[in-house]
Amino acid sequence: MLRKRLIFVLIYSEGFFCQSRNFRLQKVGKVDWIIDNYKFSEVSKYIDELIILDASPTKDIARFCDDVQIIIENIHIPKCFGGGISSLGGVSKLFAAGADKISINSLAFDDPRACKEIISQYGSQSIVASIDYKSEDGHEIVYKSNGTIATGIELSQHVNFLNEIGFGEILLNSMDRDGTGFGYDLDKIISISNLSTVPIIALGGAGNKNHFHAGLLIENVGAVATANLFNFMEDALGISRDYLLEEKINLAKW
Amino acid sequence: MNVVIIDYGLGNVASLSSAIKEVKNCNLIVSNSEQDIFQADKLILPGVGSFDQAMANLRSLDLVRIITSAAESIPILGICLGMQILCSSSTEGSLTKGLDLVAGEFNKFVSTEYTIPHIGFNQVDVSNPSILFEDISDNPDFYFVHSYRLHSAENILSHRTQYIDSFISAFESKYIFGTQFHPELSQTNGSKLLQNFLDYDA
Repeated sequence: MLRKRLIFVLIYSEGFFCQSRNFRLQKVGKVDWIIDNYKFSEVSKYIDELIILDASPTKDIARFCDDVQIIIENIHIPKCFGGGISSLGGVSKLFAAGADKISINSLAFDDPRACKEIISQYGSQSIVASIDYKSEDGHEIVYKSNGTIATGIELSQHVNFLNEIGFGEILLNSMDRDGTGFGYDLDKIISISNLSTVPIIALGGAGNKNHFHAGLLIENVGAVATANLFNFMEDALGISRDYLLEEKINLAKW
Repeated sequence: MNVVIIDYGLGNVASLSSAIKEVKNCNLIVSNSEQDIFQADKLILPGVGSFDQAMANLRSLDLVRIITSAAESIPILGICLGMQILCSSSTEGSLTKGLDLVAGEFNKFVSTEYTIPHIGFNQVDVSNPSILFEDISDNPDFYFVHSYRLHSAENILSHRTQYIDSFISAFESKYIFGTQFHPELSQTNGSKLLQNFLDYDA
């Protein structure tokens, strides 16, 4: 049976890994800090995938690649990199640095044609679309450029658009829930997962194992993710995974 | 021990190299030279991309002849697209002939209900006795990313996975081994499978 997934997300900005709260970034530590506090060769045994997103205001892909290569050494799970991809060239650099998948956000607004080219070259299975959205006056509005620019586009409309372009998965991130630890935006996740033709990865708000559980109970959700650096340190991911397996959530075993 | 990952311009070999180095102290090289390939104790044929492109690359590097001949005496493990091109043919692009070391044809998944490609961890129903899956738990999970699959293969021990329908997710004989999934992305199950292949004495 095809399994659901538990995913850990690292947010990177200008040499630092960050805790994000409602898209305001707090720099936590450099690569050394992450390596000291998250033993990735251990942590990776409890997750199905690792996503690393570059939220730097000014992108330096070479530096980002150097830093993430240290982290992914000796972890044998799929890795997805993203943030600030503006061309096919940027994509090939990230694949060369060890990515198995790439996540694209702003480029879907700025140049859908380039997105189609990237998808046709690397296959839809390796290209994830990420969405950052916020609730405004009863409408869910999609943002781009690390959540700094409101596009005015409704979430459901954007999901249909991304499905048409041909992305393989959608990483759905609630800016309102981001870093709060209050739990996922379940109602929206349910409606979007019923709308999308490709798997949804829920992100934003998970603070404990019960939140993962609630997200994974949604039928069409393929994965739940957290970028919360503080709530899932030490053995918290391991405890969460064991709990989810005890609760008969359909996760892989090894 | 010499291990050669066959380089034909398709495939992410970084993850594979690091997974192999972790399980086996060996002389690992990524190469497409005839000399290196014939001196290897174990061969690995990786691959991410399309079947027709893979065969075109193999032909232009004269690797069709070299691999076919080497695989008569050196165990070879094809991974994902690498497994596919070990077989007779695939309908990806247009009907394309493969290396034909295993008799079987790849066709695309068909479904309106399920998403294609098949992406994620899924279980393998292991047929025994297996070299690849020795000392790996029952119905182990491995990481898959593919749109084409093999329904039947002649004269080879095969192991199956269920997605849309039942397909062959791994096969093995004295010298020819293949996995549709990526052992290098499949945690400890994948590391153990790679170790089994590298420790195997033909």
